[in-house]
Amino acid sequence: MSRQFAFNPKLDFAIERFIDAPTRLVWEALTKPEHLKEWYMPKPWGRVSRAEMDVRPGGIFSIDIATADGQESPNLGCFLDVIPMERLVWTSMLFPGYRPAVFDDIPITAIVTMEPVGTGTRYVFTALHRDEADLEKNKASGFYQGTEIAVDQFVEHVTAMK
Amino acid sequence: MVSNMVQSAAADEVFYALSNPTRRKVLERLSVGPATVSELAAPFDMQLPSFVQHLSVLERSRLVKSTKCGRVRTYEIAPKRFKVAEDWLNARRQQWETRLDQFDQYVTRLKEKESSS
Repeated sequence: MSRQFAFNPKLDFAIERFIDAPTRLVWEALTKPEHLKEWYMPKPWGRVSRAEMDVRPGGIFSIDIATADGQESPNLGCFLDVIPMERLVWTSMLFPGYRPAVFDDIPITAIVTMEPVGTGTRYVFTALHRDEADLEKNKASGFYQGTEIAVDQFVEHVTAMK
Repeated sequence: MVSNMVQSAAADEVFYALSNPTRRKVLERLSVGPATVSELAAPFDMQLPSFVQHLSVLERSRLVKSTKCGRVRTYEIAPKRFKVAEDWLNARRQQWETRLDQFDQYVTRLKEKESSS
């Protein structure tokens, strides 16, 4: 596969897992709201209160999470690249429909790649940041830790779908 | 048709933006006058990135607009967009009222028929 992005360990983080399930199920669990609700938010932290995914370039990525005390926070973005069972890319830097976003948050571009390995799937989640300071902030805020927990929940969820 | 779809997409964004208590409180605050991000965030016990995401949902719905001066972003209400919600609710109310009026007339006529027979 041609790499359209360059991973830079100083700016980015990647989480890689082997999932003992077919790539078809991995894709389904990644893109369908009913599945996302089961794994996207670390369970000890809260839950997904709403998920809307229009999985095509320019489509909406919108997931609201709620912490145990009931406080909701939205995650809004735009899909950039969609190759079923291979690659899914979205960014929080754009609103849905490619509209330039206005905000002062730490934006990321998320790149998920998957490929069949034997009867299972190799799964990689990559988060690209603007600079080292953004990566540091995302590590300090719990975003990195939360993503790791979510990926583990994801693996567990997909494996149980078999 | 296209205009209907645009209208419906706008209503989706507006009603979604209105569906959260934090965002409604921000709108209530901004109805008093413009405010900076830190002024808006102050009353909420919430991490700034989460709070800023709420502002970004509001901004996307175009119920608010912001300007940046140096490092400070200031938000203000954008009243025009509230009409999307208002128009939708008004259209529903007109429907109900028309239906109730018709029902009222119908029952009145029934009553007249009964008393004349």
